[in-house]
Amino acid sequence: MESPRDRKYFAKKKVCRFCTESIEMNYKNIDILSRYITDRKKIVPKRNSGLCARCQRQLATEIKRARFMALLPYTVLH
Amino acid sequence: MAAKPRYYETLYIIRPDIKDEDLAKIQQRLRDAISANEGEIIKFDKWAQRELAYEIQNYSRGIYYIIIFKSLPGAVAELERHLRFYNTDVLRFITVSITEAAANKERAVQESKEAEASAAAAESQAEAAAQPAQQEAKTENEPAATEPAEGGTN
Repeated sequence: MESPRDRKYFAKKKVCRFCTESIEMNYKNIDILSRYITDRKKIVPKRNSGLCARCQRQLATEIKRARFMALLPYTVLH
Repeated sequence: MAAKPRYYETLYIIRPDIKDEDLAKIQQRLRDAISANEGEIIKFDKWAQRELAYEIQNYSRGIYYIIIFKSLPGAVAELERHLRFYNTDVLRFITVSITEAAANKERAVQESKEAEASAAAAESQAEAAAQPAQQEAKTENEPAATEPAEGGTN
């Protein structure tokens, strides 16, 4: 039997969307990348994006590439 | 150690008010830089013309061009040297290495596009031959008109 304390810490298990759906992460694909930046144009942290460590690292790289090529902004202050 | 050819993708931004002949000159230099290093150009295309996310050299728009190629690693340095040389016209550039699978996918897309284009050209030529001379001007315009539609289906 499950004790009440176990239930208190129950959380829905997050699944990495890039691993399960096999979407290609690419710095040219701004529509996908822009889902993972905040309204202040920061990269969404792993705890909110729900990505696995590997995908999160790649996401950060691709966003930074997109920023360099002026596809995404660095800040809202430009 | 013998260097093996790899697959690369270069994206560069050209300023929007560039003259056609200047652009042609730059692109010829880039092609030469790749072919001088046992390179093979898979794709050499315009990617987009869009609003920049922030101003670069006081330009708020830019034309993006993409090159996908296979070459020895030395070609990248050569290519980027040329891009840097034209830094008043080339606002930004980035080169990333891509997987062979991604490159082959692009190659297949390019080849099917070429095949369709030549098929369309042959078709319109046949039509032009069949039809009287007065309609020639109309059929000559046809390949250009059908190309964007084909790009959409790919």
